[in-house]
Amino acid sequence: MKNYKWITLLLVCMMLILSACSSGTSTKDGNKNNEKVSGENPAKGRDNELVVRVAGDPQNWDPIDTYLIAWSTVGTSVFEGLTSRSLDLEIQPGLAESWEYVDDKTIVFKLRQGVTFHDGEPFNAEAVKFTFDRLLGEEGQKGPQYSNYTSIDRVEVTGEYEVTMHLNTIDPVLLTKLSGYGAVIVPPKYIAENGAEHFDMNPVGTGPFKMTEYQRDKQVVIERYEDYWNKEAIKLNKVTFKVIPETATALAELQTGNIDIMTRLEVSQAATAKGTDFITLMDVSTPTAYSIRFDTAKAPVDDVRVRQAINYAIDKETIVKEILGGYGNLISSFQSDLSFGYNKDLKPYPYDPEKAKKLLAEANVAEGTTLDFYIPGTDGTFKEIAQAVAFYLEEVGLKVSINSVENTTFQSELIPKGEAGHMYKNGWGGWTLDFDNTAYLMYHEGEFWNPSYKNDKVEQLLAKERATNDSAEREKIFKELTEVLHEDAAEVNLYSDVELYAVNKRVKNFQPPHDSRFRFEGVTVE
Amino acid sequence: MLSYILKRLSHTVLVIIAVSLIIFFSIRLTGDPVSIMFGAGEPTQQAIDDLSAKLGLDKPVWEQYFIFMKDLLTLDFGTSYRSNSPVLEMLLDRAWPTIVLALGGMTVALLIAVPLGIFSAVYKGKPIDIFGRIFSLLGISFPNFWLAFMLILIFAVQLKWLPVSGFDGFSSLILPSIALGLILSGILVRLIRTSMLEVLKMQYVTTARAKGIREWLVIVRHAFRNALLPTVTFVGLQFGGLLGGAVIVEQVFSWPGIGRLIVDSINQRDYPVVQGGVILLALIMIMVNLIVDLCYSLINPRIRIGRGDN
Repeated sequence: MKNYKWITLLLVCMMLILSACSSGTSTKDGNKNNEKVSGENPAKGRDNELVVRVAGDPQNWDPIDTYLIAWSTVGTSVFEGLTSRSLDLEIQPGLAESWEYVDDKTIVFKLRQGVTFHDGEPFNAEAVKFTFDRLLGEEGQKGPQYSNYTSIDRVEVTGEYEVTMHLNTIDPVLLTKLSGYGAVIVPPKYIAENGAEHFDMNPVGTGPFKMTEYQRDKQVVIERYEDYWNKEAIKLNKVTFKVIPETATALAELQTGNIDIMTRLEVSQAATAKGTDFITLMDVSTPTAYSIRFDTAKAPVDDVRVRQAINYAIDKETIVKEILGGYGNLISSFQSDLSFGYNKDLKPYPYDPEKAKKLLAEANVAEGTTLDFYIPGTDGTFKEIAQAVAFYLEEVGLKVSINSVENTTFQSELIPKGEAGHMYKNGWGGWTLDFDNTAYLMYHEGEFWNPSYKNDKVEQLLAKERATNDSAEREKIFKELTEVLHEDAAEVNLYSDVELYAVNKRVKNFQPPHDSRFRFEGVTVE
Repeated sequence: MLSYILKRLSHTVLVIIAVSLIIFFSIRLTGDPVSIMFGAGEPTQQAIDDLSAKLGLDKPVWEQYFIFMKDLLTLDFGTSYRSNSPVLEMLLDRAWPTIVLALGGMTVALLIAVPLGIFSAVYKGKPIDIFGRIFSLLGISFPNFWLAFMLILIFAVQLKWLPVSGFDGFSSLILPSIALGLILSGILVRLIRTSMLEVLKMQYVTTARAKGIREWLVIVRHAFRNALLPTVTFVGLQFGGLLGGAVIVEQVFSWPGIGRLIVDSINQRDYPVVQGGVILLALIMIMVNLIVDLCYSLINPRIRIGRGDN
């Protein structure tokens, strides 16, 4: 008996220690537990350099070989395009100082002078021509970026610092696309001498930072490029991007001062970040949108009344408030309000279960009809949303069977083949910040991501939108397009994403980017 | 002995063929890497066909398999779709941290389990035994990601003794090794305790005691040595398992190991890396098993491997 007492005591002590430690990350005792930490900022000893946590590694750096956000998070500091985008998402001069439309299909770019690549090679019209010849040629066609730039017919050198871009079709989103990803300018001599494979692992661009170390899945180090054309803007010596896939681990690294900026904080971690006094919590809206998409080939969701009913039945506001802690913006079409073409006058479907029941009755949907709902297995947050959706739909007499499937199979097999049930999760990055790309890929008949949706009016508007460069005209078309799509209820638009950043207070003037592409102009550390 | 080893090694070829067939065909059923590589773009059919041809995916699957196996004979594991690097290089690069971690985990497990198991058996029913049994139960029941986070919270965030994550030197090895080793030691304690209890009942132990040999010598030399046999089998199997199955611990501690590489590659449908990785792990497993069998004869000379062949 005596023995058991001893052991019980030991166990109780162990549990107390463990729970005391774990509450350090939960809300209530956050401040108290961190007092010990708070006296001194643990990252203070670090020099004029910044450590940023990233969740994933893009595996290669050649701009024509990637479409990943993980690439542009780092790549934006190493490479530059003809145009660039400010932190407020305005298109502004980049490596081109100015440009002019000669006609709808011809643009003349005046290039910035005195710019050099990180290896000392000069930047000029030849480099621009080389970049686009490569992107649109044999090499580029095998990569994922090519298809974004097919509107460019050829680039002609019309001066040492002037190029003329000839288009084969009107492309209203071109200037946006030139600001990043595949169309960033690459060094001709360096690639010719070292080969594409070497370039892939040792990238060279004209950006404010040069890459000095890359250890795959571990870290990327970039250092200030001393001959950068706008070097006054860059105050930091060095930025290290550490690859830490697990968010809880990243938060621990932040608390111990090993990293300065943590991306993709989870809502459940927000309180801990707020409770640590050397950390600031920042949130920023992003162009990523989430919806529940219907497969309109399947009964009963082939009936517009059923799709509308489901839209009325789900209380999106409560979902955002309760599951996302308020970090999400309601949307009326499948894009965020940052995107060109967002219709601010269009309101999301309100929560109205009575109306939903009426519409379902009109469409003769029997009580207890089961709908298959597919979601990717790795997304814990969306699993909660799916359960809430199932609850709301049950309230109006529908049953929901949630199928959780492996993410890649879900994206690359089930959705395109129309095998993802009556409804499925749909998420979209919208990096062009223009509804064009999203709308076309989602609603144009025969697209990879569009297994079944077809609407003649939508087809007409999509074609019309792509035939003009006139922003006012395009805005009008998008207004009509979003209304048609809203009425036809191709999906239940849930919310656009708000990304959380946790930042060490020693970092000054840092503004989290809307598009995950870090820019360090003006950023300093204490 | 030599002929036994040769025979065992020839079995390896058969196992590798079986493993390669299963992994090669099963991963091709789960999705197409080309569509994933194009991401959010609008590829033309021409571009899709070109990329498929470049990756060799336009050929019939059986032909792809023979090409793969032919290359494998010359130790050419192919090139990663994702990073364009040679697969063998990537795997060897990642195998090292995993082997280090597995050894670390095993060391922790043995350091805890051997003394605790022995003491539990020797002092059966005493506090140390009860502690050993409870420890073992807790070890088996705790999920290792939870344990990993607790270790981070206590030793890295609160006490600041050790780094949170990464792979830089000995100090960063300690926490992941404990996370991996504690769970394993739970099962090992039980195993050692049970086999020790059995052996302690044996007559030769009583004889040894009667001869007046000191108690700890009896326990260590006579009893433990004989109780070691099942333990060695288990440790060998577990070591193989640790190499492939430490994925969660690798993920939590941002450990650049082979388990994480294979999981990432499965997600990206990077066929060559997945195939190469699984085959490499199978090879290691076979080798570990062989070594375990050979160890038998060293521990217990009565087991003479290969004698039957003569």
